Amino acid sequence: MQDGRVARRYAKALFGAAKGADLVRGVEEDLDIIVKQMKLDPTFKHFILAPYMSREEKAKILTKIFSDRVTSLTMQALRVILDKGREAELEAIFHAYVALRRNDAGIVYATIHSAVLIDEAQKKSLIAALMKSLGKTVEAEFKIDTTLIGGVKVTYENFVLDGSALGAIEKMRERLRYDLLKQV
Amino acid sequence: MSESHHETKSGPFELIFNNLPVRTVLGLVLMFGGSYVSKNYQEVFEQISHQYGVPVDLGKTVATFGVFLIIFPLVNIFFIKPLADAIGERNSTLEQTFGEAEDLKVQMQKMRSEYEARLVETEADARQKIEAQIKEAQALRQTLMSEAAQRADELVARATQEIEAERNRVLTSIRTQVVDLALSAAEKVIAENMNTERNRKLVEDFISQVEVAR
Repeated sequence: MQDGRVARRYAKALFGAAKGADLVRGVEEDLDIIVKQMKLDPTFKHFILAPYMSREEKAKILTKIFSDRVTSLTMQALRVILDKGREAELEAIFHAYVALRRNDAGIVYATIHSAVLIDEAQKKSLIAALMKSLGKTVEAEFKIDTTLIGGVKVTYENFVLDGSALGAIEKMRERLRYDLLKQV
Repeated sequence: MSESHHETKSGPFELIFNNLPVRTVLGLVLMFGGSYVSKNYQEVFEQISHQYGVPVDLGKTVATFGVFLIIFPLVNIFFIKPLADAIGERNSTLEQTFGEAEDLKVQMQKMRSEYEARLVETEADARQKIEAQIKEAQALRQTLMSEAAQRADELVARATQEIEAERNRVLTSIRTQVVDLALSAAEKVIAENMNTERNRKLVEDFISQVEVAR
């Protein structure tokens, strides 16, 4: 079971060390590789979380797999996580680390839903417009949502910018209902 | 003084009958005198008897009167006085009875007048109470009628309000359904007519008009 507080504590320690060593992005990419590997390969995930394998054995195997692909700081952090038996928190630690990195750099994370896949030029234009409007660097994740019919919907922090056809229809629906209720 | 006055008023007859010695002496005189006359003048009396057909003996009569005068006190003691006492007692009893009857009559009349007065008073009181009750009943009737009318008005107003609210609710529901149907139809039409170019145009419009809630 994942514990947000524990993950944040590990992430905070790792982020501090990475920032000191100027390896913030590198460590994030390392963690991303490991978490993606866990998602893509159930055997690997089962191996990481297996309770019947000793921590030394897991550390030895992980060193063999990742020592030439990740930074030494990441490997060191992995060993500590294994030593403390917190391997189940790996994904949460990664997300907390990313949040800390964005918060530290003043980056806004936005999720952009579109009805169909939009091309790179439009993606760049969209991110640029958001950055201009927010006055901050924007990191965006693009997702497809066919229910939107057309257009895009941007979600960041506690805000939603709805430029979809479905949003326009819903807005019109709300407005019409409001007008109807006002007539009564 | 009163006795002398009494004596002066009484005549010779009362003096004889009320004075025992005089009466006794007079009785003896009459008794013996009568006997003497009867014995010595019997022929005269027989002639009168034969002449008129009535047997008269004046001597015996006078003698009898004398005897009567002598025995009068005994007659008085054993007959007249008890009789007079009985009559007096009877008279006093009758007077008392009549007095009691009179008292009872007066009492009855008083009670009757009191009863009549009380009856009148009771009637007046009853009438007053009946009138008060009638007035109270009329006031209550008026109050109940006004309350009923008010309640009826309230019910009518509430019913009207509820009908109006229900009408509005139904109208709103119908309009909302119409809006939903229209927008669902619009959504379908838009979805059917959406293509890459139109989507691209929508994204571009969004980019150009992006507004941030900050």
